[in-house]
This record gives sequence, C-alpha cells and structure tokens, in this order.
Amino acid sequence: MMEDWHQPWLNGVELLEDSNRNKHFLPTGYEGIDVLLGGGLCEGQLTEIVGSSSSGKTQVCLYSAAHVADKHFGVVMFLDTCNSFSPKRIACMVDQLSSSFSGEAKERRLKRIMSNIFCHSIFDIFALLDVLHQLEFNLKHQVTSGHTKICLLIIDSISSLLTPVLGGKGSEGRLLMVSAGIILKKLANEHNVSVLVTNHMVGGEGGILKPALGESWKSIPHVRLQLTHDQGSNICNVSILKHTFMASGRTTKFVIHG
Amino acid sequence: MEIANLPISPSQRAKLLSAGYTTLTSLSAVSPFQLARDLNIALQEASDILKVMPEFTRSESLHGGNAILKGAQTAWDMLSEEQMQKHITTGCENLDTILGGGIHCKEVTEVGGVPGIGKTQLGIQLAVNVQIPVEYGGLHGKAVYIDTEGSFMVERAHQIAEGCIMDMLDKFRHHQKVILACQEQMQPNSFLANIFYFRICSYTEQIAVINYLGKFLAEQKDVKIIIIDSVTFHFRQDFDDLARRTRVLSGMSLELMKLAKTYNLAVVLLNQVTTKFTEGSFQLTLALGDSWSHACTNRVILYWNGNDRHAYIDKSPSLRSASAPFSVTSKGIRNATSQCKRVRMM
Repeated sequence: MMEDWHQPWLNGVELLEDSNRNKHFLPTGYEGIDVLLGGGLCEGQLTEIVGSSSSGKTQVCLYSAAHVADKHFGVVMFLDTCNSFSPKRIACMVDQLSSSFSGEAKERRLKRIMSNIFCHSIFDIFALLDVLHQLEFNLKHQVTSGHTKICLLIIDSISSLLTPVLGGKGSEGRLLMVSAGIILKKLANEHNVSVLVTNHMVGGEGGILKPALGESWKSIPHVRLQLTHDQGSNICNVSILKHTFMASGRTTKFVIHG
Repeated sequence: MEIANLPISPSQRAKLLSAGYTTLTSLSAVSPFQLARDLNIALQEASDILKVMPEFTRSESLHGGNAILKGAQTAWDMLSEEQMQKHITTGCENLDTILGGGIHCKEVTEVGGVPGIGKTQLGIQLAVNVQIPVEYGGLHGKAVYIDTEGSFMVERAHQIAEGCIMDMLDKFRHHQKVILACQEQMQPNSFLANIFYFRICSYTEQIAVINYLGKFLAEQKDVKIIIIDSVTFHFRQDFDDLARRTRVLSGMSLELMKLAKTYNLAVVLLNQVTTKFTEGSFQLTLALGDSWSHACTNRVILYWNGNDRHAYIDKSPSLRSASAPFSVTSKGIRNATSQCKRVRMM
C-alpha cells in the first residue's frame, strides 16, 4: 500500500530518457539569452529573471510568450500582477516575427499566435496558489497534447505578490513563498511546463542592489538570470546567477527592438 | 489540494477517508445520492459536502471548451478590447502622443518630478479631462482625487474646467447638435461636482481610503480615474520600521492595481523626488526607493530643460522612451509655446 503514496523510483537512465524526450528547450527568441541558457527556457525548470525597474524583464516575458506561441510549442499562460501585459506590444512583436508574410496571411498568423497566449490577472498570493492548484488539476485530468497543452507559464512579477507578506515577526510569508515554489516546480516537472518568474531588486549592504525575496528564495529557482539596462539604449546585459549545467558569471548582451 | 484541506467537520472527514474517498478527484465524479449511501449519512449532508468542493473540480467544468483556466482571456480578445479603449487626454497634444493617446485605463501611471514642475496641475487637469463628454471625444467619467498634502485648490480647478470647456466648444463649434445636447454638462460647476475629493492626514487614513475605495467604486460606477497626490508623502517621515513600510506600500500598490483592473479605470500616482548617493554623486530619484519603483505600470518623469517643462517616459511595457515639452497656462496643461518662462525666485 505504501507504493501508492510516493512517486515511482526512477534510475538515472530513465531520468535521462525523460529529459531528452519530454523536457524540450523553449527558445525565448533573443539569441543572446538562448545561447547563454544552452537552448532556451527548459521545460521542467523554474527560471527567474531579476532586474531593477525598467531593465527589460517584462519585455523578455512578452517576447518569449510571442515566440513560443509562434513556433507551435504549445499554449502560453501569462499571470500578470502589475497590469503590464500589453496585447498591443505583443502584436508589435508578432509583426516583427512575421516580416516575411503580408496581408491576410499576416492577420491570420497574428490571430493564431495571440489566441494561444492566455492572460490572467492576479493580485494576491492566495489567489495565485488557488490558480496553481486549478492548473494542476486541469493538467492532470485533461487529455491534451501537442500544441493545445500549456508549455510555458509566466508570472510577472511574483515578487510583488510576496513582498506584502514577507518579513515581520511570523514566518507565514516564507511559508507561502516556499509553498508557491514547490507547486511551481511540481507543475514544471510532472507536466513538462517551463515556468518563468520575474523578481525585482532591493538595496543591500553598501548600497549595492540585490535580488528581492531574501535568502530562502535563492535556492528555489533552478536558473537565475540578472538583467541590467543602460538608460537610453536598447541594449540589455544578461548574466547567469545560477544554473543547473552552465557556469555562473557568464554574461551576454541582447537588443530589445522598438 | 486534498480532502484534508476541505472546510468540513472532522467527523465528516474521517467518514470520507474510511469510505475510500482520499482525493478530490474521487469526490468529483460521485453523485450526492451515492455519497450518502457510501458514508451512511443523510442526503442533505452529502450534498453539503459536495458543495464545498472547489469549483474547478466539479465535473461540468472539465468538459468546458476553454477549461485551461477559469477567468483567463486570450491575448487576441484583449487586443480587440484594448483597441476600443479610450484614453484620458492630458490637454497637451505632444504629451498625449508620447503616452500613446493619453493616460490608459486599467493601468497605474506614476508621475514624478521636482516641486513646482506641475504635478498637481497635471492631476487637476486629468480630473477635469476625464469628464469630457463622449460626443467631444472623452470618457464622460467621474474622478476621485485623494489629496495628502493639501495642494488641491478649488479655484484653480474651476479655472481649469472653464479653460477645458472653452477649448472644447471652440474645437467643435461647427457641430451645433452636439453642443446643444451637452449644454448642461458643460458648465464648470457640474465638472467640479463630479470630482470626489478625499483629504488624507496620515498614512493610516491613506491605507483606509484605498481599502474603502473598492466599496465606493462598486456604488459609483462612473469613476474613471483615481488621482493620489502625492502617494508617498505620509510614508517618508515617522516610519521607524522600514521593512514594515515596504510591506504596507507593496500591499497598497497591489490593491491599486486590482482597482484599476477590476473597475476599468486609470490610477495616477503623483510622487516626489529625493536625492540618492550613487556612483560617487548625488542624483535625483523618485521617493521611496527601489521597492516602490515596481508599483506602477508606467512612469512619467517631469523635468526642467532650461526654462521649459518636459515630460519623459521612464518605464512602460508598450510605449517607447520619449520626451515631450508641455506648459502650464492659466487654462491648464497645454502645448509648449516659445514664451513659456520659468519664474526664478532669487
């Protein structure tokens, strides 16, 4: 009877086979980031993008959504906490991706891509946990495959949901943060979804900025990237803070097209 | 989410577990009659237990077409909705252009600048412009003005309303039918009557008002803009515990985001500037630091360029970084003219 209560034992070979067959890399569309990540956002992993205000985090999320929906990897679910999901901006990005099409074909392409991106607004941590449970339940009980299944889940930004509850005397905030992390990673691993979250920066010792959400959050994402942006230019720098198989400290640049 | 998390009494829970219903899935497919028989309880009690199950596990929802997530919209539907949205004009055409037509509804816009640049003037102008009737290209909505510093002047609001009405009548002077239809709405006093004013004297009052706004907006359905002038004033002094300040502020910003989205209105936050020591020199930045800088969807910085006032888009998910000149005249915010002069106090 104990056999029913735990996940099945897997050996290394089975894990490797599962990784090769099911856990694809979803390219973000920005070549610099994709090369840095060894292919793109990995299904089964929780990727975090950290950066100060207007460093390009939302742009990377929007562009990845457009690109992944375009290449038929599956459905993209965008959970928006700061009203920054802009359909107009996505349409503009799709326009750039469809430069070789014109007229009616372009319009049909736009409709197809935009219909594969779902957006839901969430304004507190409990609503987020509710939504994640719902997603888990739906994924377990629906027979969907290929391009009608969720392959990318974006939460922009998870830090604005967690900051009001973290800190203070009790540790309920950290409990909620870790629970959210556990559910996200479970969703990623069992249903082959890539999860992308954004986080902001706060002032640390000596005035140097550091990622928000503290020490307990640091170990939760599989991959952590930091974005910086020079004011007045289109070029963003991205560097790896933590990765499962790439060396940290590697940096690269990419351009955000207007 | 398992049986253990359902809000039912311990005896009911024990009966469910011993009858073999250990997961939500097993409960989702059973009928009340069958449950009553298996648990040996009354039919009413069985249907009560099934009622507390989360909605998404009920069998009907599994067969729905768009069952990925309840309440999610596709980007395509949002695009069509967005294209039909009207924006709130600021009175200055250049500023409207860089803002993509004006201040957007469903978004939180932060406006920051040095004292005297015109933030309160912009706030009052927006409170007036949101009331422009639909026939004149406006939203015909009401405004909520939350004043923390006491800088709202009724005489100035009257002056700006007069200036706005004069310009509107001027622009549409050929459309006689339109003018007659809106005759009574186009009086400065009726414009003033549609601005709901709250005066706040401490940070607890500010938090209380923002929490109360949810109920207020459910009753007053026409409100299309909330202006808070200035949002950071009461948080800059008297706060010993900075961690608590961060928590309170981020909770407040989430509440404002929710109001903007739920009631389809624009939220405009006016903010002060402070100096920050970075990279070896003092620089001007917006008050309340890095954690507050994520509380808005868009940010516009007003600054002096020589003797002219300019506005710069600092942060936006869909607008390009651009700057535009504007001026503050007796009629309100208008396009910049060459005679605009800054008064220097020596």
